[in-house]
Amino acid sequence: MALPAYVVRRLVYSLFILLGLTMFVFVISRVMPNDPARVALGPQAPEKVVQRYREWMHLNEPIPAQYYYWLKNVLSGNLGESIYTRRNVLLDIQDFLPATMELALFSALIMTLFGILLGALSARYANTWVDNLVRMGSYAGVVTPAFIFGIFFLLLFGYVLRILPTMGRLSAGVTDPPVITGMITTDSLITGNFAAFFDALKHLLMPATAMALGGVAQEARITRSSMSDNMLKDYIAVARAQGIPERAITLKYLLKPSLIPTVSILGLDFAALIRNAFLVEIVFGWPGLSRYAIKAMTLTDLNAITGVVLVLGVVFTTVNIIVDVVVAYLDPRIRLGGAGNE
Amino acid sequence: MSSKVRILLVTLMACGLAISAISIGAAQEKSLLRVGFSWPTFIDPAVGSDYSSAATMVNLYDTLVYPAHGGGVIPHVAKSWVTEPLAVTFELKEGVKFHDGSELTAEDVKFSMDRLLEIGEGTAYLFMGKIESTEVLDKYKVRFNLATPFGPFIPALARLHILNKDVVMANLKKEGPYGDYGDYGKEYLLTHDAGSGAYMVKEFAFEESILMERFPDYFGHVAGNAPDEVLFMQSPDTVTVKTMMSRRELEMTDPWQPEEAYVAMDAMEGVEIARMLAGELEYLMFHTRRPPTDDVHFRRALSYLLNYDEVTATIFPGTLQSVGPIPHGLPGFKEGLFQYNYDPDKAREELQRSKYSNQLDEVSVTLVMKAGDAAGEKLSLMYQAACAEVGINMELVNVTWGQMVALAGNIDSDYNIIGVGVAPDYAEAGSFLQSKYHSNTVGTWMQPEWVQEPLIDFLIEDAVGTMDKDERFKKYGLLQELVVNLAYSIFLVDPVMQYAYQAAYVIWPQQANPLFVMGFNHDCRFIEVLPEKKP
Repeated sequence: MALPAYVVRRLVYSLFILLGLTMFVFVISRVMPNDPARVALGPQAPEKVVQRYREWMHLNEPIPAQYYYWLKNVLSGNLGESIYTRRNVLLDIQDFLPATMELALFSALIMTLFGILLGALSARYANTWVDNLVRMGSYAGVVTPAFIFGIFFLLLFGYVLRILPTMGRLSAGVTDPPVITGMITTDSLITGNFAAFFDALKHLLMPATAMALGGVAQEARITRSSMSDNMLKDYIAVARAQGIPERAITLKYLLKPSLIPTVSILGLDFAALIRNAFLVEIVFGWPGLSRYAIKAMTLTDLNAITGVVLVLGVVFTTVNIIVDVVVAYLDPRIRLGGAGNE
Repeated sequence: MSSKVRILLVTLMACGLAISAISIGAAQEKSLLRVGFSWPTFIDPAVGSDYSSAATMVNLYDTLVYPAHGGGVIPHVAKSWVTEPLAVTFELKEGVKFHDGSELTAEDVKFSMDRLLEIGEGTAYLFMGKIESTEVLDKYKVRFNLATPFGPFIPALARLHILNKDVVMANLKKEGPYGDYGDYGKEYLLTHDAGSGAYMVKEFAFEESILMERFPDYFGHVAGNAPDEVLFMQSPDTVTVKTMMSRRELEMTDPWQPEEAYVAMDAMEGVEIARMLAGELEYLMFHTRRPPTDDVHFRRALSYLLNYDEVTATIFPGTLQSVGPIPHGLPGFKEGLFQYNYDPDKAREELQRSKYSNQLDEVSVTLVMKAGDAAGEKLSLMYQAACAEVGINMELVNVTWGQMVALAGNIDSDYNIIGVGVAPDYAEAGSFLQSKYHSNTVGTWMQPEWVQEPLIDFLIEDAVGTMDKDERFKKYGLLQELVVNLAYSIFLVDPVMQYAYQAAYVIWPQQANPLFVMGFNHDCRFIEVLPEKKP
C-alpha cells in the first residue's frame, strides 16, 4: 500500500479509536459517585448556585445527552470548562501540553541516541567489560523508577553541586520568549532569544534525563540483542569475507536492520515517558499535562479528564503512525498496512 | 567533529551562558519575595476562597475593614461606620486609587457586593441571605441594608475585596450564565486583577506562579523594605522545596510540608520555622443518622478511644489537642470546656449505656479518610487498634476528595466517621458553629454529621444575630458546651501552620503576632526583604 493511502487509512481508524476512547472515559468518569459542581464551588456555595452550575455544565442530563453536548462542543473547538482551573480545558491543554511534550521529546531524544549508542557498543564489544557495564547499567535503569532518578539528580546537581536549576522551566528574571509552539527551547531558538534557550535547556536537563534513563536501558538491551542476532547471519559473514572494514559492517550493514525492533517499541516507550512524567513533573515543579491530569482525576474534573485522554490519544496515535512509517523505511520488505510481508 | 565546529559550538554555549547570567543579574536588582503555595489560585474575589487565593487577594485588593489582633476590625478603606439594627453605613477614605489610576468610590463597593452575591461563589456564603440591598448614598458613602441581624457582619467584611467596576465592565465576555452581564468578567479576572491593593499582577502562569509588583500609588502603609516583587508559586516536591531553601531560591515555604522537612530546614543556616495557630480545627465527624453513631453514648465511647496525647506527639506534632468545636484563641472560644481524653474504661461504660451494648459484634464503624494523607492513615490505624480493644470493629476507607464530598452529600452514604479539617469563614466562633452544626449546611463536607436539630438551629441563629459582642460570645459558649456534650464530632487538634522562612534576610512581622482571618498573614506590604543580609 502506498504511504499516503496508508496514513489516511490509519487516520480514519484513529478517529474511531478516539471516539470509542472518549466514550469509555466519559461514561466511567460520570458513573463514579461524585458531585463535581459541589467540588468546584465549595461546601458553602448555596444550593441554587450549585444547581445553576450543574445546568451550565449539563450535569443533570442523562449521560448520553451529556456526551452529545460534549461532542458537539468539541467539534466546535470547545472542550468544556475545567472545574479545577475554571476555564476552557482547551486553554489548559494549550498551556500544559507543550511543557510535557518538550520534556517528553527531549527525553525521547536522549533515550534514542544513548539507547542505540550503548546497545551498539555493547553488541560490538560483546562479552567485554564494555558490554558488562552497559548490561549492568541497563538492569539498573529498567528497574529504577524515573522519579528516583529525579530526586537523585536533584540532590546531586541541585543540592550538593548546585550547578543546575531545581524547578520550573525558566529562571526568574529570564524573559519568556513569545509563545509560538509553547515549547520554550523551540520558541527561544525561533526568536533568537539565546539566554532563554540556554536557561530552558538547563532546566530540561535533569527532568528529561531522569525520565529517559529507563528507556535508554530498554533501547540498549533491545538494540544489543537485535545486533547480536544479526551478527550471526550469513550476509554479515559474506561482508567480512569480502574484507569490508568492521566499522563499516557495523554501521552500514548491521545497525540499520537491527534498529527495527528498537524503533518499533519507541512508540510504546514514548507513551511510557508521558505516563512517567507525572512524578517527575511533581519533583521538578514542571507545569505539565501529566500533573494537570492527576489533579483533574482527584477532583473529578470531568471535562478535563476527557479532554486530556482525547489529546493524549491523538498524540499516541500520531506517534505510532510515525513509528510505522520509520520502520517501513528501515526495512523495505515491510509493506505498510499488512498487505503482505513476503 | 572538526575543530572549527567544536570551537563554534563552545563559543555559542559560552555566549548563551553569559547572556543568561547577565539577564538574571539584572533582574535581581529588584527585591523579590518568593513564597510556596498550593494551586489553583483564584484571584477573582467572587470565586477564590481557599488559602492561596485568599493570601493573593489580600495583596491585590483592599477591603473596607482590616482584621485586628484579638478579634474585631480596624478601618481600612472605610474611614468610619455607623451601625443600626438592620443597616451599616460606611464612609470611605478619599483618594484611594485603583491600579489603573481611577478613584475607589462607593459605587465600586456596591458593585463588588452585588457581583459577589450574584455569582454566589467564593466568600458569597458569608453574606447571602443576610443582605437585603446595598445603596450608594454619595460618592464616598455606602449603606448595607441587612435582611436579618448579623452580629459578625463587620468582621466578615474583611473578606469583601473591592473591585474596580469600570475595569470589570470593560472586560465582560458576552457568553455566560449571568444574563446581561455575560460571564461577569470571570474569565478576565482569572489572570488579571482589578484592585487597589499594594501589589498588582505582573505575570500569571497557570498552575505555576503569579508574579506581583508593587503599586506605587498605594494609599496605605507599606514597610520601608517591602519587596518590589512577590512571586507566589506552586510548591514542588518536598525534596525540591528543601533544596530551594538551602540555595535561597525560596523565601517562604507553604505550610503543608512533612514534619521531617521542617526539622531539616530548621537546621539550615538563616532559616527559621514560623509556627502559627491556624485558627483551624481537625475533626472526626460522626454520621449522627446512621447506626451505631446515631447513639450519643456510642459517639462518646468513640471519643474516649482516641489517644490524643499520641496524636499530638507523633501524628500531628506541634499541635494542640482541641477543646470543643472552636480552635483556641478564635474570638468566641470558651475556656474550661469538658475535654475528652483517652480512657478505654470510660469508653466501655458509655458502650454499656448505648443501645448497641448487646450487639457490638454485629455493628461496625466505617472511618473514611482522604487518600494520600499519611498522617490520616497513621491516625486511622491507631484508632482502629484502640477500638478493637473494646470490641468495636472499625473499617478503614480511603477516598479521593471528590468522592468524600459526594459521600458527605448523601444521608444514605455508608460511613460513620469522616476526617476533615475546617477553617473559619470569619474570625469568630459563630463561623464554625454555623458551618458545622446548622441544619442548612448538612450534606456539605463541612457537615457530614447531618445534625438537623431545631433547637441547635435556633441557638446558632440567635447567637449570630446578637449585635452585642459580649452577649454574642456568651451564647457561643453555651452552644459549645451543648455540642461537646452531644459529641457530634471528635475535636482532634488545632493545627499549627508551620512555615520555613529565610529569617536571615526576611522580616515577617505577622509570624510573631498572627491574624486569624485567612490570607492576612501574607500581606506582603508588611514583610521586609533585606538582600544585603542574604548569607
